[in-house]
Order: sequence, then C-alpha cells, then structure tokens
Amino acid sequence: MNLQKVLGPDVVRPQLSSKTKADVIDEMLGILVATGKVKDEEAARTALLERERKMSTGMQHGIAIPHGKTEAVDALIACVAVSRVGIDFGSLDGQPARIFIMTLSPKNRTGPHIQFLAEVSELLRSKERRETMLQASTSQELLRILIS
Amino acid sequence: MTHKMTLLVLQLAVILISAKIFGYLVERYLKQPRVLGELAAGMIIGPYALGAIHLPGLEGSLFPLVEGTLPVSPELYGFAVFASIGLLFIAGLETDLPTFLRFSGVGTAVGLGGVVASFSLGTLAAYLFLPSVTSLMDPAALFLGTLSTATSVGITARILSERRKMSSPEGVTILAAAVLDDVVGIIILAVVVGIAKVSGADVGAGQVGVDWARIGIIAAKALGFWLGFTVIGILVAPRITKELKRFHSIEMVAGVALGLALLFAGLSEMAGLAMIIGAYVTGLALSRTDVAHEIQEQMHGISSYIVPTFFCVMGMLVDFSVLPPVLFFGIVFSLLAMAGKLLGAGVPALLTGFNLRGALRIGAGMLPRGEVTLIVAGIGLSAGVIGQDLFGVAIMTLLISTIIAPPMLVVSFRGGTGYKREVKVVAGQDLARQIRIPLPGGQIAAFMRRRILNAFRSEEFFVTRVDFDRHIYRVRKDDIVFTVVQEEEGLAINLSPAHEQFIRLLVLEEIVELTDLLDGLKKIGDPGSLGSDLIEGLFDDADDNPPPGDASDDPPPQ
Repeated sequence: MNLQKVLGPDVVRPQLSSKTKADVIDEMLGILVATGKVKDEEAARTALLERERKMSTGMQHGIAIPHGKTEAVDALIACVAVSRVGIDFGSLDGQPARIFIMTLSPKNRTGPHIQFLAEVSELLRSKERRETMLQASTSQELLRILIS
Repeated sequence: MTHKMTLLVLQLAVILISAKIFGYLVERYLKQPRVLGELAAGMIIGPYALGAIHLPGLEGSLFPLVEGTLPVSPELYGFAVFASIGLLFIAGLETDLPTFLRFSGVGTAVGLGGVVASFSLGTLAAYLFLPSVTSLMDPAALFLGTLSTATSVGITARILSERRKMSSPEGVTILAAAVLDDVVGIIILAVVVGIAKVSGADVGAGQVGVDWARIGIIAAKALGFWLGFTVIGILVAPRITKELKRFHSIEMVAGVALGLALLFAGLSEMAGLAMIIGAYVTGLALSRTDVAHEIQEQMHGISSYIVPTFFCVMGMLVDFSVLPPVLFFGIVFSLLAMAGKLLGAGVPALLTGFNLRGALRIGAGMLPRGEVTLIVAGIGLSAGVIGQDLFGVAIMTLLISTIIAPPMLVVSFRGGTGYKREVKVVAGQDLARQIRIPLPGGQIAAFMRRRILNAFRSEEFFVTRVDFDRHIYRVRKDDIVFTVVQEEEGLAINLSPAHEQFIRLLVLEEIVELTDLLDGLKKIGDPGSLGSDLIEGLFDDADDNPPPGDASDDPPPQ
C-alpha cells in the first residue's frame, strides 16, 4: 500500500490541542469528518470508542493507533497527528502517547487497514524518525517525514 | 457373486484392521511414519505371504492369487483406485495455485531442479542397469523416472515443525518447492502415460523404435488436456460452488465435488491419460474457491479410512520371490533417485544464497516419497508397462527414502545457519522469527487457531494444512508466507520479520474480538445453574412423575 494514497496534508496535524484521550479521539475524528469522507460521525465515534473499550490502542514508545470498523466510511481513511504534550492513553508500557495514527475502515475488510497500520508501524520503529516527527511544526513537514 | 462379495468384505475388514494396527505400532514404537506400517501390513497379509494360507470355511485362502497383471482381485484393486483418486483430489485441493504461478525464486529453482534431476537419473538408471530396457524412451524407464520425482512433504513438515524450523529459510524453501514438485510431477505423468499407451499399441502392431513426432503429439495432447481442463476448471469452479452453496450444506458441496473428481478421472482415462490426473485437476480447479477448505475437511474424514486401505493393498502387490534378482538394481535405483533430489534441489539452493549445510537440509527435506510414487507404480503395473519386479523396486524406493530422510533431516539441522550471512534476502524471506501465543489448554488453542486462520482466510490468504497428524498450517498470500502451529500450550506463528508487523496486528485484532465473545459468555451466567436445569427431575421416581401420554390410569383433573 502506498501511504501517499491515504495520507495528505489535510489529514496530518503536527500540533494537537487536546489534553485527554477522549478529546484526542474527537479532535482527530473532526479532522477526518472535515474531509467529507465520513458519512455518519456518531457511528464512527462509537466504533472508535468501542475498540478502545475492548483494549486500549496505546502501544509503546508514545504511539497510539485508535481505529475502528464502521459502515460510516466506504474505504480506508486515516489521520496522523502529534501532540506537544504526552497524553495518558492507557498504553501498554504506561508511557503517555504523543504520536497518534487514527484509521477508519469499512466493516467487511480488515486487511487494508492492518496493512496501513503495519506500514506506519514499520516507519515508527525508528527512534530517530519518531523524534523528527515530534519536532515537526507544519503539516507539510510531518507528511514529508512520513512518506519520504 | 455372493461368495465374491463376502470374500471382498472379509478382505476389506482384515485390510483395514491390520493397516490401522500396524500403522499405529510403527509410529508408536519404531517412531517411523504410519505409511510404512500400512505397507508392511499389506506385505504380510497379502497373497504372497499369509494371505495365501487356506482357511477353513472359505473354500480357499483369504487373498487368493489372481492370474494376470495384478495379484489381487479387480474388486479389491477398485478400492485402491478409488482411494488414489481421492488422494490426488485432496492433493489438488491443497495446491496453492496463485503461489505456484507467482512464486519466483529459490522455491521454483529447487522444485524444478529436484524433479528434473531425479527424473533423469531414474530413467538413466533403468536404461543402464535393466537388460529389458533398450532405450531412454522405453515406457518402463520413463515410469521409473516419473515415480522418483514426487516428494511427500508431510513427513518433512512434521519434522521441521517439531524442531521449530518451519520458518527457517530452508523450511520455507522446501514448502514452496513442494508445490511446484506436485504440479510438474503430474504433468510428467500425463505425458509418460500417453507415451506408454502408444508404445504398447506399437509393440502390438510389431513396430519398434522411437517415433518422436508421435511422442511430441502425445506430449502436446497431455499438456493440452491438463492446461485446458485446469483453465476451464478454474473459471467454472466458482460458479459451480456458488450454485451448490444454495443447498446450504457443505456435505452436499463436498459430495458433488468428489463426484466431479471421479467424473473427470474417468474422462481423463478416456482421453488417454491417467485417472489421477483428472482427479488432481478437479481438486486444483476447486482449490481457488472459497469452499476449498471445507471440502478438504470433509475429505479428510474419508481419507483416514481409504488411505490405510490404499497403502495396504499396494503392499499386497509386492511379490517377494521376484525381488532377489532386482535387489541390487532396487538399491542402486533408490540411491540414485535420492541423489537426484539431493543434487537437483541442493545445487539450485547452493547457487541462491544457501551454504552447503543449507543445501543438504533442503535436499534432505525433498527426499521422502509417498502416495504418488505408489500410484504411478500401480498404474504402470496394471497397464503391464512394468512388472512385479519393478513394482517391488518402487516400494523399495519409498521405504528407503522414507526411512533415511527423517534422521538425515534431523542430523542436517544440527549446527549453525544454512544460510550465507552476506545474502540478506532470499526469495523475499530473511531470517526467521517466532511469535508465541500462550493459551491454557488444547481446546482453547484449537479454538484460537480456527479463529486466527479464518481471519487470514477472509483477507484472501490461502491456508493449507501441511501435516494431518499435527495442526500445522501454511498461510500464504503473494510473497507473505508463514506457518501457524497449534501446540498443547498455545499457538506458535513462524514468520519472516518483513511481515511481522502485519501479522502481529491482524492476530491482535482477532484477540481483541474475543472481548465480545467473553461478554456473551458472561451473559449465560453461571454454567452450573444451566446444568442444574438439565439435572432436575433426572432421577425422580417414575411413578411420581409419569411421562406425558402415559397417564391413562389417572383421570384428568376436573
């Protein structure tokens, strides 16, 4: 999968303003809704929160991958955001999260969304890349780090 | 007629019981594959050994020697033919066709190398050592070449899994090569059977010599039949299964599918090819449909009965009295057939990133022979192309390779890497990794294995069970290949780091989905209370609590 196909400057945000997990999810969902690709914002929110209820998507190294499967979208959409401050996301390693990758995908297929997450995770394995992402100040800069 | 059927039923009874017991004993106490026990059972109870003893009440022996090309009755041999059709139908179903078509790299080179070298050496050995064989194109020589090509990867898969080497570069290469091995082996058989049939007619008509033009036509016809039926089958199979699914019964789908395998087996025989080719092609065509796995599961219920019967009947065909003259040839042939696999598979491995140790491991992994060797030999014997002596040679090849390969494989996997460190990637695979999912008990492991495999299936992965004695599965889509092994204490996934993220995340999502299931279970409440509802009244006095409809003595309450 080509990350460029899913990610554009409109869905990449370097400075989130939210301070809590619920607000981060709302703020990122708002970014996706603004693209006009989410048919039902409430259904999408429910899917994201339902997934968090089952098991937190806070991973390690300050990364969180909130995601959900919902009929509110026709194809995989994603948003990548970075927060200046660490946010308690109930992560696996107990560390606050600062890098967020949100995906929404149709209910019938898991593959494209997992494929996308796998590719982004592969990128984020590099500590150096994570550091540069945290330093990015514009959407263009953050996008360049992701798809370079 | 009644006597014949009674005898057949008694024969089948003795075959099934002795094959099952011998198979068990050989596996349990000699630590050898069950198939060896089943073959040995056939040799012991067959018409050339105990089966010839006259029994009181039977007007003769249980397995009387039958005149003609086969020493057993046509009725009994019919069961073996049916079993061979079933076996090749399953082999076709299990073939991972997209991978076969797309996989380029070491697997292809190793598989093709092994087939070509063992076929050539087998044919050459017959030409050099058998006085009756005067040409390399002699059907007997071609049959011997063909029966030395087929690898039975099940034994290798079991050993690799036990040693946790399934996802090693060698393991992945062996499994990939075995796919190609089957397909190419069947095509060679199609051509050789065609040639043998025409040669037989020529001998009858008093013609000698090799008619290359005619052989070319036969080869083209065999290939044409194979390709034509495969392509048409693949195009039509999804429509057929779609229609069959309207019946909402997988037994129905599997039953009709087996019927189609028999139909195409018959048609391919009528077209001048072997029956198993039609059966294999039917399986291959259905292997791409979404019900392939379900048909496989249904077929394996039948195969646990027909496979031992098949190997046992094949063992019965061995006439020990004709073996001494060909004993030397048999050993030479078996060794050459093994050398063909070792060199043919090992040299391409050596040239594509493996060191000598790795090449030896891959060669050894391709050694075991199985049912296809016997089926080919059986076809040759029943067609009169090879005699009892060469049939015995085929059995020797199977026995020797199956006995030698496992310890050889185990020893070869001792020591360091079989892989040249400077070569980072071989056919999309690099060094192996294993994910372990600890689970409490076999039942839960089986449940999770099914869920995880289904999750991959719904992502269009092809899931193939590689060993039916243990739960070992190969999961593949394009260049992603990994294995899932169900163990007592959980699941093990062997994979290459290149695809680790994807596989981990997909498995994680499946585990997360269990939350819903657990919530549902909690809603059931206390299983004890469900059970107590069932127990209530179980031991009440019958007079106190008459069953409904049995209260005629008591007047109905007013």
